[in-house]
Amino acid sequence: MGKTAAAWGPLPRTRIRTYFKKMYARPIYRLLLILLGLPTTLMVLVKHLVFSNSASYDKLRADLEAEFKTSGLLEKLKAQALESERNKSKFLKRSVSDEQLKVRADKVAKKKYDQALQEELTNRMRREKIHSPDMLSTYLEWLDNPAFFWVSVITSLPMYLLVWIYSKPYAKYISERLFMMIFVMIGVIVLVFTILYLTPMDPARNILGANATVEKVAEFKRLYGLDQPYLVQLGNTIKKFFTLDLGISYVGNEDIASALMRRFPITVQLSLASMLVSILIAIPSGIISSIKQYSAFDYIFMLVALLGLSIPNFWLGLILILNFSIRLGWLPAMYDATKLVTLIMPAIVMGTGLSASVARMTRSSMLEVKNQDYILTARAKGLSERRVIFKHILGNAMIPIVTVIGLQFGGILGGSATTEKVFNVNGLGKYIVDKQFIPDIPVVMAGVVYIAIVISIVNLLVDILYAFLDPRIKSSLKNY
Amino acid sequence: MDDNKRKKEYLRKLESKKLKKSPEYKELSFSAGVTWVFALLFALSGYSFITGKVTVTPLILAAAFAVEGVVQLILLHRMRAALLKSKPISRAMRLSGILLLAFVVTGNIFAAVAGFTLIKKQRTLEYTMTVYAAITTLGVIMVSGLNLFKEYVANNFMLGMGLLVAFLVFYLLTLLFIHLWERDGKVDKKLLPVGVLLIISAISGNVFALIAGMLIISHYRHQGEDRAIEWRDIWERLFRNKMAVMGMLVVVFLLSLSLASALTFDYGVAIDNNYDAILRPVSMEYPFGTDNYGRCVFTRIVFGARISLIVGVCVTVLPMIVGGILGAAAGFFGKRADNIIMRLLDVQYAVPDMLLAIAIIAAFGANTVNLILALSIGMVAVYARTVRATVLGLANAEFVEAARSCGARDWNIIFRHIIPNSLAPIIVRSTMGIGTAVLSTSSLSYLGLGVEPHIPEWGNILKIGSQYLETNPYLAIFPGLAIILLVLAFNFFGDGLRDALDPKLK
Repeated sequence: MGKTAAAWGPLPRTRIRTYFKKMYARPIYRLLLILLGLPTTLMVLVKHLVFSNSASYDKLRADLEAEFKTSGLLEKLKAQALESERNKSKFLKRSVSDEQLKVRADKVAKKKYDQALQEELTNRMRREKIHSPDMLSTYLEWLDNPAFFWVSVITSLPMYLLVWIYSKPYAKYISERLFMMIFVMIGVIVLVFTILYLTPMDPARNILGANATVEKVAEFKRLYGLDQPYLVQLGNTIKKFFTLDLGISYVGNEDIASALMRRFPITVQLSLASMLVSILIAIPSGIISSIKQYSAFDYIFMLVALLGLSIPNFWLGLILILNFSIRLGWLPAMYDATKLVTLIMPAIVMGTGLSASVARMTRSSMLEVKNQDYILTARAKGLSERRVIFKHILGNAMIPIVTVIGLQFGGILGGSATTEKVFNVNGLGKYIVDKQFIPDIPVVMAGVVYIAIVISIVNLLVDILYAFLDPRIKSSLKNY
Repeated sequence: MDDNKRKKEYLRKLESKKLKKSPEYKELSFSAGVTWVFALLFALSGYSFITGKVTVTPLILAAAFAVEGVVQLILLHRMRAALLKSKPISRAMRLSGILLLAFVVTGNIFAAVAGFTLIKKQRTLEYTMTVYAAITTLGVIMVSGLNLFKEYVANNFMLGMGLLVAFLVFYLLTLLFIHLWERDGKVDKKLLPVGVLLIISAISGNVFALIAGMLIISHYRHQGEDRAIEWRDIWERLFRNKMAVMGMLVVVFLLSLSLASALTFDYGVAIDNNYDAILRPVSMEYPFGTDNYGRCVFTRIVFGARISLIVGVCVTVLPMIVGGILGAAAGFFGKRADNIIMRLLDVQYAVPDMLLAIAIIAAFGANTVNLILALSIGMVAVYARTVRATVLGLANAEFVEAARSCGARDWNIIFRHIIPNSLAPIIVRSTMGIGTAVLSTSSLSYLGLGVEPHIPEWGNILKIGSQYLETNPYLAIFPGLAIILLVLAFNFFGDGLRDALDPKLK
């Protein structure tokens, strides 16, 4: 317990100091530190401007440079470098003119000279207790003084929170990923908005008809903010997404956010059902295929899996409808949210491609693990075959499998449009496709961006899950 | 397991090892298996268990394939007996390969390949390639020949067929020449013009002929030299993988067919309305029936192959170039450039390619050029990631360091070491990518977002078919099968290429 308390308790000042130094070295963190600790920054800045001992530093540097110049070190280094360049060209049997050699040698010598100078400078500074005149050292001096430190803690707590997050590997990893995700989301909004903004078609004319008066068109544009410049529209759009108020559609005056929310659960339900179907099929068959490699089952099943990857979703849907709805009459062709039976065919159709790739991944990943030394060890110590397969092989092969499932989830959500169209599912994909014919730009935009965001969140969750599950990632997180 | 059982197991393994050493046996057993599978498939399609309907033509085909299957099983049995006694395959047995060749009349190309393998004792890669070139041309002739059942044929039909037959005869003669002039791994000078002609004949889209010609010429130029030629090894490894070869065969066949269709097929039959022949069922005149405007679905599918291939290749090549440059730049210039490029591509990667394509098409309208652009943009990040990973891996590879320490210049390292070694993953990804692109194209066309509706594209054909699912289901079944065939072929070929290019398996 004591250990946990120490780990979670306030950081000792020396540790804050080291983390602070590390963070300061990275541009984005430096910016965040300066912004989040604005009061401290201002105080440090004042101190820096008033008290910085740059005079003594400048003097030391000038002295040292003069000292080096008189020692003739540069000439010595130059001669050395020239000699080695000569040897090199002789060894490689290359004819290089003397001038070129000299230029090259001078470059090398200068580099070495600068290095030596810098080294000596840091040594002297340490000996004579002179600090280099940059903000960081002033910051660190500030932290070293207890009174100043506590003042800064009170005035700029967010900065210390950032340092605390940085000190915890998991918290740091997750918040870095979250930060990246927000960046990607804004990027997605900008990308999709720009694509739709560049349309050569005039949405107002499309919707109001060719006979609309100029006033009417202008009124329409004003209503939807289309008369504003690109950047203003873009800013408004980003704001809309973060406030979840997506405005109304061009046609039918529908509130987009609620329309999406109505359809979103249907698509998610469908995707989850198809994932369940495919995992139930794919993982067992992948396991059998890999355990009985080169058996008839393996060959046939991998053939079927490749076939599954090659079948167009909508065609499979049509064939299923043809056989099971029209000819046999077992299952209804149209999706009905109230009946669970109608979910079967769409789930199978959407799950086919996924199960094919998951099965292939399961097989190859299990095959890779199967021949590892630790599996031999597990067998040698007399574990039952079942335990070896499920605990040791499958357990270690799971990570790439989960990755594929996570990645494919995005593919399923994104590609749901065709399946939804075939089975007449009133989901998000069909909604976007139906609206793009108008084209109802705000709806298309919102639909595409939301699906992209959901996929990003799912992938983030998968990544975070890994960080907790995989000991290899755990250790690499702690080290970086 | 008791000892007896174990002994049996061991003997069985020993036998199968012995049999697997003979390529003739492997080829024949594969062909026999596939023949039986096709016989079964034809039988199943001839009799519907659900409706109880019987169709005659598939049943006749099923019977023919069954007979061929029986013949092949008998041959297989005799060959097995000979091989297990470590006897060479007899002359009579080799001559029976001619019988297998004759099976090609029913469309059984697998038997034909087995026959060609059986006839010649020592087969070189050139021989095998020419066999596949001949079979491809034969397939194109047979498919084009179906046009003879129509009321009229295309203006250039006879010219096209004449050319195809000339090519076929030339390939068969080439087989003979190879037999005569390529002995004990030595190529006679007389074979050189044949090689040049083979390369020229590749204008018909016959990639096998192109490779065969190049193999002959390079074989002649390098003979006597004691070194392996990398790309020859790759083909040799690829041709050991039956499914990959079948995939390549389908791709080359469809490529040749879509080139030949310019002469042998009438585009009018595919696009002009013919109200006398609306929704006709499957017949010899209309092998896949006609659609609601009386257009021949078979001809439409043949012309659709062209669009699928063009779109598939464009959607692979464009992002490969753009993504390749971006990925290579990110890998080379490191830190800052890497960060900026990859973060920007992350944004693109976050949007599923289908949705990105839908957004682009919503903005710019549905036509083929926009479709190609839309699908290409969605693939840039994938290629950039592949190239970047490869370049990063190679930049620190030991052989690059070795080259550098030997004083090789930067551009020399890039062109001699990094590019050739980074090609393999890109080739594999792009082969698979063409398949995916074909799928996406047809999906978008099905949704009405792809190729213009009047162009015979597979997704468009299927879209019409889906409206007649209850009454004329074949309208939807055949274009779907065409899509599956092409995509599956690319997937098999890509899988095989990956194995052939993987140096770890060497």
